[in-house]
Amino acid sequence: MLKKFCLSWVFSFVLLGVSFSGYSAGLTVSQIVDKANKVAYYAGQDGMADVHMVITDSQGRKREREFTILRKDVQDGGEQKFYVYFYKPEDVRDMVYMVWKHLGRDDDRWLYLPALDLVRRIAASDKRSSFVGSHFVYEDVSGRGIDEDTHELVSQDDKYYKIKNVPKSKKYVEFAYYYIWIRKDNFMPVKAEYYDSQGKKYRVIEALKVENIQGYPTITEMKASDLNTGGNTVITYNKIQYDINLDDNIFTERFLRKPPLKWIKRK
Amino acid sequence: MKKAVFFIVGFCFFPVYVFAFSIGKDLPAIHGFWETDYGYKIGHDTTKRDDYNLMEQRLQLKARYYPKEFLADWNSEFFFRGDWTVDEYFSGKTDFDLREMYFSFTPNSLMDVKLGRQILTWGTGDYLFINDMFPKDYVSFFAGRDDEYLKQPSDAVRFSFFPKFASIDFVIIPVFEPDTLPKGDRLSFFDPFQRGIAGTNSDRDLLERPHQASNNEYALRIYRNFGSNEAALYYFHGFDKNPCSYKDELNRQLYYERVDVYGASIRGPFCSGIGNIEVGYVNSREDPDGKNRLIANSMFKALAGYTKDLGNDLKVGFQYYYEQKLDYDNYRDNLLPTDYFWDEYRHLVTNRITKLFKNQTVLVSLFTFYSPSDKDGYFRPMVSYDVTDQLKLTLGANVPWGEDYITEFGQMKRNKNVYVRIRYSF
Repeated sequence: MLKKFCLSWVFSFVLLGVSFSGYSAGLTVSQIVDKANKVAYYAGQDGMADVHMVITDSQGRKREREFTILRKDVQDGGEQKFYVYFYKPEDVRDMVYMVWKHLGRDDDRWLYLPALDLVRRIAASDKRSSFVGSHFVYEDVSGRGIDEDTHELVSQDDKYYKIKNVPKSKKYVEFAYYYIWIRKDNFMPVKAEYYDSQGKKYRVIEALKVENIQGYPTITEMKASDLNTGGNTVITYNKIQYDINLDDNIFTERFLRKPPLKWIKRK
Repeated sequence: MKKAVFFIVGFCFFPVYVFAFSIGKDLPAIHGFWETDYGYKIGHDTTKRDDYNLMEQRLQLKARYYPKEFLADWNSEFFFRGDWTVDEYFSGKTDFDLREMYFSFTPNSLMDVKLGRQILTWGTGDYLFINDMFPKDYVSFFAGRDDEYLKQPSDAVRFSFFPKFASIDFVIIPVFEPDTLPKGDRLSFFDPFQRGIAGTNSDRDLLERPHQASNNEYALRIYRNFGSNEAALYYFHGFDKNPCSYKDELNRQLYYERVDVYGASIRGPFCSGIGNIEVGYVNSREDPDGKNRLIANSMFKALAGYTKDLGNDLKVGFQYYYEQKLDYDNYRDNLLPTDYFWDEYRHLVTNRITKLFKNQTVLVSLFTFYSPSDKDGYFRPMVSYDVTDQLKLTLGANVPWGEDYITEFGQMKRNKNVYVRIRYSF
């Protein structure tokens, strides 16, 4: 039941839905999108990485985020659990953020504040708000629901499929549509461009480095750029490991209060 | 008696021994912050100072160490967090506040132990506590220190068990620690002996229990998830943290009466937000039928809360809190004509609204308490700005108000302040 998934899941590109079917070399759009979803978000049965994030605002000021992220899939292509332990910035050091990602309903999110020994439940309807003040949004982290967009294969060349994605409901998103480029050789989505209702491109996410880790294609460096303000965020993944047999219990209140030292060595 | 004290002192310092023996060569990394606070006071009372009620510097250091030998197989960990302060309110008095110093380990996969000074929190309320009977610092809260200072540490041992059917926390607290409440030096408050709001003229005598096994406190929580919903049962056996009962009226002696608290809570997704309900029954064990006018009555408490994410980093939360004295007729019938008396019911609503701006570096929030039954309330507006990852500026205000001077927020009405804080984290 628990199958493969990968690590680029962490902040990789938006999940793709399956409502429009076109043909391409024997693959329908829905098949391409489904494969890309699993490659980007579901490599291995579980995984971990140390994440370093540099947020640069329009005036060139830099802020840093550093955390370890653990992920485990409940079903391949379905529900997932995330555990995020923060080291930087200093005022959030030792805080823990936990997500149970669901499909078709709001995710469950918790935040543990160590100075207060407080486990707080976070209301989480807006998946398009910024993740830890970066240019990535929550949906980039945990994935966008597979049925939330319609998909159309607009072009392809030797290397990439280019797919246009239109949200079925405009109510909860700031974009009108986005394009996504998926590599033909390994189905890794490597670029996404977001457009507003005037047809203006305002946001780009791109993979800067893709490596093969334990046989899984993995994005190890990626960038989100806000073309309106000029700011961007670059994420680098280190110490990536897949199939590490994470105990299901790690994603519970027990480990919010006492982190799993095997994976999280607090500094 | 002496043995008990010896035991308790030994117990509290156990983590120091572990630390001293195990630290070896590699020193742990030290983190923390330095901050300075200033709270300009609005209003006059008879506390020590009229122009401000907060002016201090604080250095917090924290360090974590994983012993390589001592119980290393048990994922053992030593943690220290302490504050050094210079308090200009008390003419530059220096102090050290040990916030946390504990040793924690996992003897087997079904159990965690945390031993030493620690912060303890549970329950579902936001600034409202029913089953969390652990000590709080309301002086810090009303003076405008950071939220983390609302919780006060306990010297305790916490056992956590994780059998299949539920998780269980069992806490033993051998050293009674009351709430830190206004006592007239920094913040004025209602003192029945002074027949009104009192400052430095307050001369109450608060009696604490001697350290002995029969005065240990015990707290229990059994909790588990049902899908996305979290349910919990609570039990507490100990003392009220607020000195509500009279030992000797003539000598102005108050004390912390024995209470047992039984409670339950549930929290989970509700109407595309998070809903929570918590109830508690407080049994005043020294006055079971409520006839003793000198001892606090048994009570029923309940709260219901709801928070919702409105999008664009805007969140709102509401709470309704209800409190009822359970032997009210007996309480009323036994009062003397000169006694102050309190209503049978208390209703309280709260609202929290927070919004983030500028890539989440600016936080604007307002927390409001309002009690229609007590005709009082409390506004806590706050703006903070992360200038850099290290430097944070905070500007806020504390505005308690009330028609009467004996109610919870009404008695605080002369302590209004506007505060600023600069914090540098490292």
